[in-house]
Amino acid sequence: MPDIAFLALSGLVIASAVFALEARELIYGAVGLGLSLIGIAGLFILLGAEYLAMFQIAVYVGAVVVLILFTIMLVERERGRIVEEEEPVRLGRAGIYVAGLVALAVAAAVILLAPVSPEAPEFYRAPLQELGRSMASSYSVALVILGLLIGATVVGGLTLVKIEQKEKTSGTAQ
Amino acid sequence: MQGLPAIQDIVNLAAKIITSRTFLEIVVFPGFLNVFVGAALLTWLERKVIARVQLRIGPLYAGMWGILQPIADGIKLLFKEMIFPELADAKLLMVCALGLMMIAAAPVVAIPFGDGLVIANMDVGLIYVFAAISLFPTLILLIGWGSNSKYSFIGGLRSLFQQVAYEIPMWLSVLGIVMLTGTLNLTDIVRAQEKLWFVVPQILGFVVFFAAVLAELERIPFDLPEAESELVMGWMTELTGAAFMVGFLAMYTKLYVMSALITALFLGGWSGPSILPQPVWFLLKTFLVATVIVIIRGAFPRVRVDILLRTGWTRLLILAFANVFVTAMLIWLGFGWFWRV
Repeated sequence: MPDIAFLALSGLVIASAVFALEARELIYGAVGLGLSLIGIAGLFILLGAEYLAMFQIAVYVGAVVVLILFTIMLVERERGRIVEEEEPVRLGRAGIYVAGLVALAVAAAVILLAPVSPEAPEFYRAPLQELGRSMASSYSVALVILGLLIGATVVGGLTLVKIEQKEKTSGTAQ
Repeated sequence: MQGLPAIQDIVNLAAKIITSRTFLEIVVFPGFLNVFVGAALLTWLERKVIARVQLRIGPLYAGMWGILQPIADGIKLLFKEMIFPELADAKLLMVCALGLMMIAAAPVVAIPFGDGLVIANMDVGLIYVFAAISLFPTLILLIGWGSNSKYSFIGGLRSLFQQVAYEIPMWLSVLGIVMLTGTLNLTDIVRAQEKLWFVVPQILGFVVFFAAVLAELERIPFDLPEAESELVMGWMTELTGAAFMVGFLAMYTKLYVMSALITALFLGGWSGPSILPQPVWFLLKTFLVATVIVIIRGAFPRVRVDILLRTGWTRLLILAFANVFVTAMLIWLGFGWFWRV
């Protein structure tokens, strides 16, 4: 049963990632990215990391993809359709195919060389409370530093906005 | 006659699956049928209650007190032609409308309608509900963009602004409950309220969460994304026929689900005197919460976008932090054992 789920989720991740790269319209690319990230969240659940999976959905799909969509919509002045019909760059294509071949080779090597155990080892499912305890004790410094980093980012963004506003008002005053 | 036993096996298996408790839970009771019937009933309830608030009668002719009105509406919308504007992305609209319905119904699997009556008893149930709900504005933005209409697009952008305003206070307002119970599992959270509902010790969190839910559901006073007097119907403007029905039903499904979440988090969930079974208590409380939300629609005007953002980031956020502080004080003073599971 997990095998079917794993195969389906992997298929979803790969197919939507390819779709995200190949989509002619940027919006579809962002949608494909979102689907791919949801599939990765599903893989996290299969690996026993539900907490991580939920935050993957909430942060990456719920916030980052929205940000990408928002940027695309604001940048594209001409509504909707991308008009430019460029010839696809041949060299870039070739690169993709080579990368795919290398990935296949690596996967084949892993599958052929890795010791195949008949019973897969049980994943260690950390209880949520244990996770929280370790985050609040042994990883607390890292957590605080991350918080400071994000706080600094927010303050930096606010400062940028303030500077722009000041320039705008002084420009109109003159 | 070789094939017959195989068919018999399949029939037996199908019968076994259909009569199994898991199947019934997924499809019938806490599951999808319940959600759709609940959402359809809420459309009727809203029309009836709003009518009473405005001294009208409301739906009357279809069935007793017009209770069959949702079915009539559904049939009407199903048979309507689907019209999409020129250059609109019809495929994207359809997919996103269906996605709205799926995402609106998804949180139900984590909400316990009775002790043990939950489809997926997850350790991260609370975060799961929030994560599923946080996908909503993305799809609304896509619908707004795909409609190729200024009203839809403004509605979609407003939905995004709204998410910025309400989401962080919403996550923070339930932190107090998590601190008191020490779990994110919704069943355990309801069990912890057997002695005292969380609406009492977490009254600040309840107020913040309720306001955030109102913004989340795009209900008056925070119905900016579909402000009828400004944006026709907001992001739903260009949805027609069945696509409109699905989008509309998704909003009511979300109303149902969020009412159930408020019930489970703050109002003791299924707990109540044992004259009625647990799920009945749960549904009663859920519909009560939904009725209050509907009455608020009849009583309040709409706020402006900037006021909503300011309220979210200055008032609600500070109240949520105050709630966390008060809860930490409660635990520090030694009252924490009372709710711990």
